[in-house]
Amino acid sequence: MPKLKSAADLAKLRQEIQSQAKGKKVVSVTNGADGRARGSQEVVQALVKEIEKQGLKDKVRVKSTGCHGFCEKEPIVIIFPEEICYVEVKPADVPEIVSATLAQGKTIERLLYQDPNTGKRISKESEIPFYKAQNRVVLGNNRFIDMESIDDYIALGGYSALAKALLEMTPEDVLTQIKESNLKGRGGGGFPAGRKWETTRNAPGKIKYAIVNAHEGEPGAFMDRAILLGNPHSVLEGLIIGAYAIGASQGYIYLRHDSPQTIDVVNKALTQAEKYGLLGKNILGSGFDFNVELHRDIGIFVSGESTALMTSIEGSVPEPRPKYIHTSVSGIHQRPTNLNNVETWANVPLIIGKGVAWFTGIGTEVSKGTKIISLAGNINNTGLVEVPMGVTLRELVYDIGGGIPDKKKLKAVYVGGPLGGCLPESQLDLKVDFDELWEAGAPIGAGSMIVMDETNCMVNFARYFLNFLADESCGKCIPCREGVYQMLKIMNRICQGEGRDGDIELLEEISAVVMDASLCALGQTAPNPITGTIKHFRKEYEAHIEQKRCPTGVCQMLATVGRG
Amino acid sequence: MAKKKTKSTFIGIKATPEQAALLAKLQEQLKSGTKTEVLLKGLELLAQLSPDETTAALETLSADMASGSQPATSLELARLEAEAQQYRNVLQQTKNKTEGVMRQVIKQISQTDKILAHYGSDSSELVQMIIDIQHENHWLPKEALVWLSQKLDVPLNQVYQIATFYKAFSLVPKGKHSVSVCMGSACQVRGAPALLDRVTEVLKIAPGETSPDMRFSLDTENCPGCCALAPLMVVDGIYYCNPSAKEIKQIMAACK
Amino acid sequence: MSEVTLTIDDKEVKAKEGMTILEAAQEAGFDIPTLCHHDKLAPYGGCRLCTVEVNDGRRTRLVTSCVYQVKDGITVKTESEKVIKIRKLLLELLWARAPGVQALRDYGIKYGIDRTKFDIGPTCCILCGQCVRYCAEVKKKNALGFVGRGIRRQVMFFPEIAAEECPKCGECFSICPTGVLPSNYALTQLPGFTFPTRFLG
Repeated sequence: MPKLKSAADLAKLRQEIQSQAKGKKVVSVTNGADGRARGSQEVVQALVKEIEKQGLKDKVRVKSTGCHGFCEKEPIVIIFPEEICYVEVKPADVPEIVSATLAQGKTIERLLYQDPNTGKRISKESEIPFYKAQNRVVLGNNRFIDMESIDDYIALGGYSALAKALLEMTPEDVLTQIKESNLKGRGGGGFPAGRKWETTRNAPGKIKYAIVNAHEGEPGAFMDRAILLGNPHSVLEGLIIGAYAIGASQGYIYLRHDSPQTIDVVNKALTQAEKYGLLGKNILGSGFDFNVELHRDIGIFVSGESTALMTSIEGSVPEPRPKYIHTSVSGIHQRPTNLNNVETWANVPLIIGKGVAWFTGIGTEVSKGTKIISLAGNINNTGLVEVPMGVTLRELVYDIGGGIPDKKKLKAVYVGGPLGGCLPESQLDLKVDFDELWEAGAPIGAGSMIVMDETNCMVNFARYFLNFLADESCGKCIPCREGVYQMLKIMNRICQGEGRDGDIELLEEISAVVMDASLCALGQTAPNPITGTIKHFRKEYEAHIEQKRCPTGVCQMLATVGRG
Repeated sequence: MAKKKTKSTFIGIKATPEQAALLAKLQEQLKSGTKTEVLLKGLELLAQLSPDETTAALETLSADMASGSQPATSLELARLEAEAQQYRNVLQQTKNKTEGVMRQVIKQISQTDKILAHYGSDSSELVQMIIDIQHENHWLPKEALVWLSQKLDVPLNQVYQIATFYKAFSLVPKGKHSVSVCMGSACQVRGAPALLDRVTEVLKIAPGETSPDMRFSLDTENCPGCCALAPLMVVDGIYYCNPSAKEIKQIMAACK
Repeated sequence: MSEVTLTIDDKEVKAKEGMTILEAAQEAGFDIPTLCHHDKLAPYGGCRLCTVEVNDGRRTRLVTSCVYQVKDGITVKTESEKVIKIRKLLLELLWARAPGVQALRDYGIKYGIDRTKFDIGPTCCILCGQCVRYCAEVKKKNALGFVGRGIRRQVMFFPEIAAEECPKCGECFSICPTGVLPSNYALTQLPGFTFPTRFLG
C-alpha cells in the first residue's frame, strides 16, 4: 500500500481502483450482527465457493457489507450493476443465484421482495417501498463497501473531502462551513457541532482531543454500530477533518467491548488508513499530524455521558462530573476535548465535500440534513431508516415501517430511549425535528423509535425504563441513586396491584427533585418515562392503582380482586 | 575417606549395625532430622504406651521374632518406621497442595504480565486490561487484580471499584458457557420477560447465577443492538431470536 | 487572583476568582447545608444538599455551590422555594437510609423533617464518600473504597490494607456524618470475613 503524499496521489489511486473494478459484477451481502445470526456468513462463504466453482471468479466480486437498513429481511444480497435485490437468502439458494442471475442475468422471482400491500415482486432495491422514502446519504454507501476494504471507500470518492479540507482550506474555513451548515449533534444532545468545535478550538492549551462516541448505550438504537461496521472510514474521515478544524492532535474512538466484529473492523480501518498515510504524521503531505486510538470499554448506559466517558478514558469508572465548565474547555486530563457522536462525524465529509448549500437544502428550518432512525418494537419493517429531517412519524411508522404486525392498533411511539418520551397516536403527525419533538416532551435522543401497540402496557414499560435507569445509575449523587430507586419501588407496587392513593402525586414530587438536583443528564432525565406516561396515559395508571387492574393484562397483579 | 567410627550420639543406647542401617534408611526417607531426632521421636512414642500396651506389644514382637515372620528390628524402630511413613504422606500432600496453589498464582501473574506488556503498562488502559483478564478466565481472580494494582501503581480500591462496577465482570468463577437475555426496550415490547422465564425454567438458575455444575452462567443485558432479532437470547456470542422452550433445551444440550 | 463581586441572598459579597460559591458564602457568614463537603478534600458534588439558585444574567439554574465557581455579577439564592423543596426531599430520602442520625436531625430541625414517607432500608451509610476521599487524598493509603454501582454501592475496607494502616490512624471515624464507619471497619476485621462478591445481583 503506497503512502499517499498529496491530493494527486489520492486521485491516482482512486482511478486505479476504479479501473480495476470495471466490467466486474459485484455481489453485496449484508454480513453484520443481524445477518450473521441468520446465516449471512454461510451465504458469503457459499457464494465465494460457488463463484469459483462456476468459473466466474474473475468476473464477479463478493463484498461482505454492513447493514443496509432493512434488518428484518436479512441476509440481503444485491447484485450490481443491475441492482437486483434478493431478501432472506439462505445458503441453499446460492448455487441458483450464481448460475441463473450471475451467469445468465435471470432473476429468481421467489427471492425478490414482495410488497405486502400489492403482492408484487420488486426487483430493484431502490424501488422497494422501505427504501423509496429514505434519503440514504450516510447509510447508503454501506451497500457498496466491503467492511474490511478502504479501497472500496476511496473508489466512491472517500477521503477527497479530507484532501480538500487539509490542502485547500484553513482550519477556520472548515469551522465556518460546519457552523453555517447548522449540523447538530446526533447522539442525543442536539447541540450545534460547529459551536462546540469553536469552543474547543478557542480553549487555551496546546494539546486537544477529539473523540468519537461510539458507545451507543441507548436501548433500541443501533445505527452507530451499523455506520461503524459498514463504513468506518466515513467516520474516520469526519474525525480527521474535525481534528484539523479544532487543532486536536489525538483522537479516540470509544467503543463497547461486546461487539467483537465492530472492534475488529475499526482496528483494520485504522491500520489501513495509517498505511495509506491518511492517519499519523503529515497526512497527505499537509503537515497535519493526527493519531487515533481505539478505546474499548465495558459500556454501561452512563458511559455514554460525555464527562463519564472522559473519566473512563482516563482509566476510572465512568462517573460523571458537573458540567459547569464544559468539556470543550476541560475534558480528558483537564484538556480541551471535543466529543461527537458517530453519525455526526459521518456527516462531516459530506458537508465539506458536497458543500453547505447541499446539506442545508435537506431538512427543516432548524434541523438540517438527515437522521437515521432505528425502528423497532411492534413494527413490520424493523431496521434503520435514514430520512430527511421533517418527515412525520406517521410516515415512518406506516409508509416506511410497514405498519403494525397482525394489523394491531398503534398505542404509542417511544422516541429517544429512556431519556426521551412517549407520543400517543394523536401526535403522530409530529415531524422528526430536534425542536418539535423536544417541545412535545419526547426529545429525539439518538433516534431510537420503539413502536408500541394495544397489547403493551404503558405503566409496565415506564417501569421497565426506570428499572433500567436504576440499574445503570452510577450511584454517586443522592437524587438519582435514592430518588430513582424509590420511584421504582412505587412503580413495582403499582404494577403488582398494590398501588396506593397519592402514588401518582408522590411520583411527580420525586420526579421534580430528581430532575432539578441530579448531577448528570441520566438523573436529570430519568423521570421522563414516568412524567411522559402519566401525562398521556394517566387512565392506565388510575386503573392500576384504583381498580388494581392492568387494562392490557401485562402486569401480573398479586391481588385478583377487581379484574375485568 | 577415612573410616569414621560409628558413634551413637544418643544417650545410653548403642545401635547395632542393623539398627544403624535402618536408622540411616529412615533418615534418608524422611530427608530431615538427625538420628537423634528420629530416636527421640521413637522414645516419645514409647513413653505414650501404657505398661500393659508395652507388654502386649513386646509379646507380639517376640511371637513375630519366634515365628521368623518379621525381621529382627527393635520395637521402637518399628513404630518409628510406621510413624515416619505417616508423616511423609501428610508432608507430601501438603507440599502438593501448596505447590498447586503457588503454581496457580504464578500462572495468573505471568498471564497478567503478558496483558500488562501488551498495553505498555499504561494505567489509563486499566479497564481494557481487566476486560482481557475477564475474557481469558471468565472471571477476575484476586491475584490478577492485586498484581495489576501493584504493577501499575494504582490503588487497590480503584481496581476493585472498576471490577465491581460492571455486571460484565465477576469476582467469582463463572460457568463455561455464558447465556444472556436482552432486556432492552425493543425486546421488552416483543416479549423479553417471557423469554427470560423460559430460559430460567430450562437452566433452573436466576439471572446473575451460575449453574451448580459450572456449565452455564445466566445474565441479562441491555441492548446489544440487534433489535430485528427481538426478543434476543445470546449464548457464547451466538444470537438466537425468540427460541421456544424446546429450542432452548436443544441449544443448552449442545453446549458441552 | 482578581476579585469578583456577587450577590448572595440580596447581600453584596466580594470573593476571589477561583473560589466556589460555598466558600464565598461561608466566608460571608451564610450557612449552606452540606453532607459530602470537607475543607481538606476536593469538592465532590454528591449529596446535592448545597444546591443553590444562580442567575448569571442569561438564565437561572440550580447548581451545587461546592463545585460552581464564583463569577462576577451573578445572583445567588441559597434558600429559594425550589431549593428548599429539593433539600426537604433529599433529607427524607436520606432518612430512609440513616434514620435519626445527628447530622440529619440537625438539618431536619431547620427544614422540618423528622421522619420519612419512604420505606426504611437502614444501611446507615449515606455514601457521602468523605471517608474514601480522606483516605485517598489526605492519608494516601486507600484502605477503603467504593464498590458496586447504583443503589448497591457501598463503602468497603480492604482487609489487608486496613489491618495494617487503620489501627495507626482511624481519622476517618470521626469524619463520618452517620457514625457507622467504625462498625463497618470492625466487621471487616472479623476472622472469616469474606469480601462480598455480588454487587449487581
